Amino acid sequence: MTDRRPVAPASLSIRGLRKSFGDTAAVDGLDLDVDGGRLCALLGPSGCGKTTTLRLIAGLERPEAGSIELGDRPLTAPGAFVPPDRRRIGMVFQDYALFPHYDVAGNVAYGLGRRADRARVKEVLELVGLERVADRPIHQLSGGQQQRVALARALAPTPELILLDEPFSNLDASLRERVRADVREIIAAAGVTALFVTHDQEEALSLAERVAVMCEGRIEQAGTPEEIYSRPSTRWMAAFLGEVEVLAGETRDGRVKCELGSLAVETKVEGAVEVLIRPESIAIGITGPPDATEAEVVGRRFYGHDQLVELRLPSGRTVSSRRLGFPAWHPGDRVQVWVEGPADVLPGS
Amino acid sequence: MAALAARRPPAPLLLAGIAVGGLAALPAVYLAITIAGETTSAAEAVFEPRTLEVAARTAALVAAVTASAIVLAVPLAWLTVRTDLPARRLWATLTTLPLVVPSYIGAYLLVSAFGPRGVLQDVLEPLGVEQLPSIYGFVGAWLALTLFTYPLVLIPVRGALRRLDPQLEEAAGAMGRGPGQIFRTVVLPQLVPAIGAGGLLVALYTLSDFGAVSIMRFDSFTREIYIAYQSSFDRTEAAALGAVLVIAMLALLALYARLRGARTYHRAGPGTVRPAGAIPLGRWKAPALALCGAVVVIALALPVGLLVYWSTQQLGEGVAVGSVLGNAGNSLLVAALAAGVGVIGAACVAVLAVRYPGRVSTLVERLGYAGYALPGIVVALALVFFGTRVALPLYQTLAMLVFAITIHYLPLAVGPLGAAMLQVPPRLEEAARGLGRPPLEVFRTVTAPLVASGALAGAALVFLHAVKELPATLILAPIGFETLATDIWRQTSSGFFEAAAIPALVLLLVAAPPLYLLSEKGTVTS
Amino acid sequence: MSTSSKTSLALAVALVALPVGACGNSEEPGSGDDPSTPGITVYSGRIAPLIGPAIDMYEQKVNRDVEVRFGDSATLAAQIAEEGENSPADVFFSQDAGSLGAIDAEGLLEPLPRDILERVPARFRADDGDWVGVSARSRVIAYGPEVDPDGLPDSPLELTDSEWEGRVGWAPTNASLQGYVTALWLLEGEDVAREWLEGMVANDTQAYESNVPVRDAIAAGEIDVGLINHYYVAEAIAENGPDYPVQVHFPPDDLGSLVNTTGVGVLASTDDRADALGFVRFLLGREAQRYFAESSKEYPLIEGVEPDHSLRPLARIPSPPIDLSDLSDVEGTLELMRDTGAL
Repeated sequence: MTDRRPVAPASLSIRGLRKSFGDTAAVDGLDLDVDGGRLCALLGPSGCGKTTTLRLIAGLERPEAGSIELGDRPLTAPGAFVPPDRRRIGMVFQDYALFPHYDVAGNVAYGLGRRADRARVKEVLELVGLERVADRPIHQLSGGQQQRVALARALAPTPELILLDEPFSNLDASLRERVRADVREIIAAAGVTALFVTHDQEEALSLAERVAVMCEGRIEQAGTPEEIYSRPSTRWMAAFLGEVEVLAGETRDGRVKCELGSLAVETKVEGAVEVLIRPESIAIGITGPPDATEAEVVGRRFYGHDQLVELRLPSGRTVSSRRLGFPAWHPGDRVQVWVEGPADVLPGS
Repeated sequence: MAALAARRPPAPLLLAGIAVGGLAALPAVYLAITIAGETTSAAEAVFEPRTLEVAARTAALVAAVTASAIVLAVPLAWLTVRTDLPARRLWATLTTLPLVVPSYIGAYLLVSAFGPRGVLQDVLEPLGVEQLPSIYGFVGAWLALTLFTYPLVLIPVRGALRRLDPQLEEAAGAMGRGPGQIFRTVVLPQLVPAIGAGGLLVALYTLSDFGAVSIMRFDSFTREIYIAYQSSFDRTEAAALGAVLVIAMLALLALYARLRGARTYHRAGPGTVRPAGAIPLGRWKAPALALCGAVVVIALALPVGLLVYWSTQQLGEGVAVGSVLGNAGNSLLVAALAAGVGVIGAACVAVLAVRYPGRVSTLVERLGYAGYALPGIVVALALVFFGTRVALPLYQTLAMLVFAITIHYLPLAVGPLGAAMLQVPPRLEEAARGLGRPPLEVFRTVTAPLVASGALAGAALVFLHAVKELPATLILAPIGFETLATDIWRQTSSGFFEAAAIPALVLLLVAAPPLYLLSEKGTVTS
Repeated sequence: MSTSSKTSLALAVALVALPVGACGNSEEPGSGDDPSTPGITVYSGRIAPLIGPAIDMYEQKVNRDVEVRFGDSATLAAQIAEEGENSPADVFFSQDAGSLGAIDAEGLLEPLPRDILERVPARFRADDGDWVGVSARSRVIAYGPEVDPDGLPDSPLELTDSEWEGRVGWAPTNASLQGYVTALWLLEGEDVAREWLEGMVANDTQAYESNVPVRDAIAAGEIDVGLINHYYVAEAIAENGPDYPVQVHFPPDDLGSLVNTTGVGVLASTDDRADALGFVRFLLGREAQRYFAESSKEYPLIEGVEPDHSLRPLARIPSPPIDLSDLSDVEGTLELMRDTGAL
C-alpha cells in the first residue's frame, strides 16, 4: 500500500492556552509541543481539561488566551482564529461520530469534498483493512470496525495533524491491545502527527512516543514514557503514574540515605529530600545485601504474573513491593528488603 | 465530553431566527399598537368582573379538554402499539384520523347527532325518550374539542412507545412487578415528554378555538373577542382580550417549560432498539375493542357518515361539483405553501433553540407561539394593519395569505423539528466541520437529512391546520380565491348546512394523507 | 421515494408555486385583469347567493368587472378600519346599518350625492348622508303550526309571560336582535330593556347562534315562536312551497316590527368614485330593487317597486323615530345583555 506523507509533517505548538467555563478554568496556561510525525499522548485524570484542549486545537472552542500553531500556520492567536473547517486537522471522537445516513465509503469520502476521489477512498480503506465493507451501513459494523472507519475518515483528506479523543475506551478490553497496535501502525504508516487523549496510563505509556501529563488545566510534565515514569518532576506526578513509595531521606554527594538504605541518585539537591521509590524496585529476600533493612510481611496479594507484598519496616512504616509472583511470601515472614532499580528524589518539604 | 456552555450563534443564523421570531410576533405587536393609544379603555375591558368569569370558564375548559385528551389518547396509544389487539394497525390509523375533522364541522355534526333535534333523538323518540340532555354549553364544547384534538397527544405518545427500550420493562418484570405496575412506574414516566408536548398543543388549540365553542354556545375567551369585533366594533377591547390570551399562552408555555425541565440529548444508541413483544390482552380484549370502537364511531364514523349521507343527498339533487374541485386545489395550494414556508422558518428557530440555547432563542421560540394562541381573525387583522402600511403591493395576494397562515401555525412545525434536532448529536456536526465543510454545507449534508422526518412531520401538522383555515382566508385571500373552508362558510352562513357537506367531505379527504404521514412518522413533540 | 426526496419535492413544488400564486390570480372567469377597464372592488357582508345575480347584472350593464370580497359585515368593517386610507375597497355593502355606522364614525365613508340619498325615505339613510339603505327587513315573531295566530302577542315584551315559557327562540349574538334591544333602550329606556331581557332569560328562552337555526327549530317543532327577521321565512316558503310550517307575525307594539336596512357606502379611500357611485345608483335602481324584492323577499326602498305581496307593506309597519345609525352603538346593549344573562 502506498502511504502518503505530508511533505514535512507539521509540528504542533501551543502556548499559554486558557479556557474557562463559567468560573472554572478547564485549561489554565497550557504549553505543549508535539514534533512533526510523532505520536504523542495527553494523559490525565478525568476533569483535568484534556478533552477541552483537544477541542481547542480542533477549533471547536475559542480560548480566552493563548496561541496554537500548526507547522508555521497560526490557528489560534490573539486576533486570529481559523475556523475548524479550514484547519486541516483530523479528529476521531470517543463515540466515533459516524454519519448514520452514509455508508462506510460515504463516511470516509465526506472529508474529500463533493467530488471525492474514489481511488483515495479505496486507498484509505485498505490502509485500515476495511476495503471489503465499503458499502455497509454503519450500524452493521462492530465497535472495532466503526473505530477504524472513524480513523479512515479522519485520515482521508491527508490532514497535518490528527486528534483522537479516548479512542479505545469504547472497545472491549480483549480487543484493546490488538486495536491499539493496529492504530499505531496505521498512524505511523500515514506519517501524520498525532495527539491522543487518554486517562489510561498503560495506554499512554505503551503507545506514545511522548507523553504529556495534564493536571488541572496545565501540563505537569512532558517527556518520553521512561522519563516521566522514572523521573517524575513532582510528587503528584510520581503518585499519578503508577504506584510510588515516598520516604524521607537526606542527600549527600550523589547518594541519598533513607530507611531502605543508601541509594545512588542523580540530583543537585543537597540535604533533606523526599525519596521516590517504585514498588517494583523494592526487592525481598530471606537474605540480602549488607545494607538491606529488616522487615516483616504484613500482607500479600497475588496477581498471577506479580505479587504485591506489604512490608512493615523497623520504624513501623509500611511499604509495598511489587515483584514476581514467586517465591510466595506470607504474612508474618521476617525478610530483608533493599532497593534494586532507579530511585528519584524531590526537594524535601 | 464536558457539557458545552452556550455558544454564540453565527450572525446569519441569529438574524434569520430574529427575523422569523419578529415576523411571527406581528400579531402580538399589532395588539400592543392597538392598545397603546387607548390604555384606559383597554384596561377597563380587561379588568371587568365578567372578563374574569370568562377567563375562569375558559381555563376550566382548557384544563378539562387537555386532561380528557390525555386520558383518552394514552390508553389508545398503548393498545395500538403494545398489545395484541386484533387489527391493531387498522385501529392505529383510525384512531388518528379524527384530527382531520375541523372543530367547527365536528361540533356541528355532534349537535346534529346528539342535539335536541338530532339523529339520536329521532332514533330514541319512539322508545319514549322525550328530550335528550342538552349537549350545548361546557359539555358540548368539551366533548367536541376532546374528540377532535386527542390525536395531537396520541401521535407523539405512539411514537414514544415505539422507541422505548423493552429491556427496562423486562427488568422490572424480572423483579416481580405486574403489568399495571410496570406501566405506571417504568413506561409512563418515559412517556411524559410526549404527553406533555401533545397536551400543550391541545391546550393552546382549545384556547384559540372559535368554531366549536360558538356552535356549542360556550362563552369562551375567543367568543368574547369575536363579539367585541362583531357587535361592538371595538377593536381596542378585542385587542385587549387578545393580549390577555397571549399572556395566558406565555404563562402556559413557561409552566410547560418548567415542568419539563432542561432539555436532554437523546442520543440514538448503537444499533436499533429491539421491538417489544406484544402484550396479550386476554379477557381485556373485548373492552379494549369496545373503547377503540366507541371512539372511532363517535369521532370519525359518525361525522364522516353524516357528511357522506348529506353529500349523496346533495349529489342526488344535482348540486354542481366542479367548483369544489377548484376550491380543493386552492386549499391544497395554500396549505402546501404554508407547510413549506413554515418548515423553513421553523428550522431557523429550531436550530437556534437546540444548538444555541439561551435567552434570545427562547424569546424567539416563545414569540412564535403568539400567532398560534390567538384566534385567526386577530392574526389576519394584524396582517391587514401591517400589510396595508408596509407591504401594500403584497396586500391581498396569495403570498400574504400564505404568510399569515404560516405565522398562525408556525409553532406546530417547530416542535417536531426541534425534537428531531435534539436527536442529532452536535458531535456529528463538529465532525463534519473538522472534515473541512463550512457550516451551511454541514447543515445541508448532515443535519438536514437526519431531521428530514421531523421536518416532514412539522410540515404535515401545518398542512393539516392550514387546509381548514377560515378567517384569515376570508380577510386576506385575493378576491375570488375560494378554498374549501370558505365554500363551507358560504353555504352554512346562508343556512344551507347540508349543502356544505360535499366540500366538507372533500376537506377531510384532502387532509387525510398528511395525517397518515404524520402518524407514521410518529412525532409531534418538542 | 425516500424521505429526503419527498421533502425536497414538496419544497420544490412550494417554492415554484409561490411566485406563480403571488401574482394574486383570481379564479373568477373573466376576472378583472383587463387593464384598460379596471372595475370597482366591493366588500360585501351580504353573501354571494343573495347579491351575486345583482352584481352580474351590473357587470353586464357597464361592461366592467366587479371584484367582491365576501365576509361577515362586522369583520369587514374591522378590516376596512384597519386598512384605513390604503383600503383597496371602493364600496362597502353591509348586512346592517350598524357596521356602516361603525366605519362612518371613523370617518371612512364619503358623503353621497343628494340624488342618491333622496331615492330612499329619510329613515333609511344616514343623517349625515354617508350611507344609504338598499333593502329593508322587519323584525317579526315567527311562529309554528302549533300556535294559534290569534294568541300571538302584539309586543315582544309579552313573550316573558309564563304561557311562553320554554317555547321561544332567539339569537342573542345576531346584530338584528341586538339592534332591537338598542332601539328598545333608546326609545323606552334602559329599565324596560333590562326587564325584558331578564324576563326572557327567566322564561327559558332558547338561544341559537343565528336566525336560520331559530327558523329551522320552529319548523322542526323544537320551539313554537322565534324573534327573527322576516325574510328568512319568506325565503323558506319560496323554496319549500306554501305548506312550509312557519309563518310571520308583525307585532305592532314596542318596536316589535322594527325595520332595519342593508346599506351601502362609498369609502373615502376609493380611487374610482364615479364607478362606485354608479354602482350605488344601480343598487337603488329599478332592476336591482326588483331583484331584492323577488329573490330574497326583502323590502325594496325606492318608489315604484313593490315588495312581495305576501308581506305587510312597509307603510303599514309603525316607524319609530330612531336614527338607524344610532343602532351601531351597541356597547351598552352588549353589557346589558351580559348582565342579564342573555348573552
